[in-house]
Amino acid sequence: MPLVRKPTQPAGHPKASAGEVFAGLTSANAEERWSAARAAAELPDATGALAAALPQETDSRVREAMFTSLTRIGTRESAAAMLPMLRSDDAALRTGALDALCSSVLAAHELLPQLLSDPDVDVRILSCELARSLPSAEANRSLSALLDREAEINVCAAAIEVLAEVGNHTALPALERCAQRFPQVPFLTFAIRLATDRITAAGSRG
Amino acid sequence: MAERPTLTEDEFRRLCEYLYRRTGMVFTEAKRYYVERRVWERMAETGSPSFAGYFAHLRSDTRDEIQQFVNAFTVNETYFYREDYQLKCLTNDLLTERLHERHADDPIRIWSAACSTGEEPYSIAIWLLENWPRVDEYFVEIVGSDIDTRVLELARAGTFGKRALMRLPPELIGKYFDALPAEHWQISPQLRDSVSFTSVNLLDPAQTRAHGQFDVIFCRNVLIYFDDTSRRLAAENLYENLLPGGFICLGHSESMSRISPLFDVRRFADAVVYQRPGITRS
Repeated sequence: MPLVRKPTQPAGHPKASAGEVFAGLTSANAEERWSAARAAAELPDATGALAAALPQETDSRVREAMFTSLTRIGTRESAAAMLPMLRSDDAALRTGALDALCSSVLAAHELLPQLLSDPDVDVRILSCELARSLPSAEANRSLSALLDREAEINVCAAAIEVLAEVGNHTALPALERCAQRFPQVPFLTFAIRLATDRITAAGSRG
Repeated sequence: MAERPTLTEDEFRRLCEYLYRRTGMVFTEAKRYYVERRVWERMAETGSPSFAGYFAHLRSDTRDEIQQFVNAFTVNETYFYREDYQLKCLTNDLLTERLHERHADDPIRIWSAACSTGEEPYSIAIWLLENWPRVDEYFVEIVGSDIDTRVLELARAGTFGKRALMRLPPELIGKYFDALPAEHWQISPQLRDSVSFTSVNLLDPAQTRAHGQFDVIFCRNVLIYFDDTSRRLAAENLYENLLPGGFICLGHSESMSRISPLFDVRRFADAVVYQRPGITRS
């Protein structure tokens, strides 16, 4: 029989100290940064160090591990630490932060109102995605309120796209008001009609 | 009892989009009947009078409904030679690539990372013995792991019913199993001794690291049970468990690309698998 059974040998990775983890985050060696980024998840006070290291990180693999550790720390502070990255000119950092925030129910619940009111249009557009992870009633309420005050059509379009999927009848008035505010924008009119049709069809079957 | 509605095109699409985003599971129109049956079952179970009502219940995830819905697709689906196109890929392509990257004396290590009652690691063993002509030239180590120690005991015992063996040709059952009463069969002692079983929580880096690095990992229909953060963590753990250039096989409806950017997608003739970068390919 060529198949063999061997006892699995414990790899024997000693746990790094907090000091070693913090130092490892800025190591010149990517493997050490990867290990430190992963170990940082066990250190709640590593949020600041991770947030400082992330924009400097050039290895996409290490960057991913840093985002995962921030989501695993799972505090309001760790979620808030990712918010500035939504404004980054680095697309990979921006989308990495959004993906990580989307993984955090806490972030969606606590930070979404602030994000949907952010002065940066791009942040508001990206933040509409966060609403998908909210309970239906909360998502409808947040996005309807956004539609009623939002002046930027691309933000409205992002909110409408999400409502087309998670929307219910409570969002219909806000969609209608949005259509009335932007009658000169054909694609928005089309998107609103599509979302309204979907919500209405789903409601008529319910 | 809820009526059994046929989902409209729009409802089917919305449900499939939702499932894909939440679980990575992909369903096309070809799977409509399969999907609708599960919807009917869950509507009846939850007392939802309509699809719209059930879909709202699903989205709110009340009483862990997403998990329940996913379970309806996956539970009790383990059997020998399940998704054997990946086993074909293993012997046709993956091992060939791995052999280029190793010292002749290095063992080939294969991990069934959530093996349940053992059908998968035993299937890998049988498949290699039957379909890989070079199996005698190398030491091959197969490890089956699961978080549930009760199923691991069953795996070690290696006794299976008729349903688990439904995909195996009779000659293979005769060759690798001993018949027991009441339509049960036990894996031969020699084959049982060639697979080791260990307990592991895929979300615990210390536990996964203790298993060392593998050439190929099978982790099928597992990550769909995790939430987003856990999926990311599991992906990073599995990444560390792969040798550079090693491969990971997920379930047919799962996509690592939806979970983590750490892996390269590799498309082979028989299957799409994911690879830990690190080896320059010609």
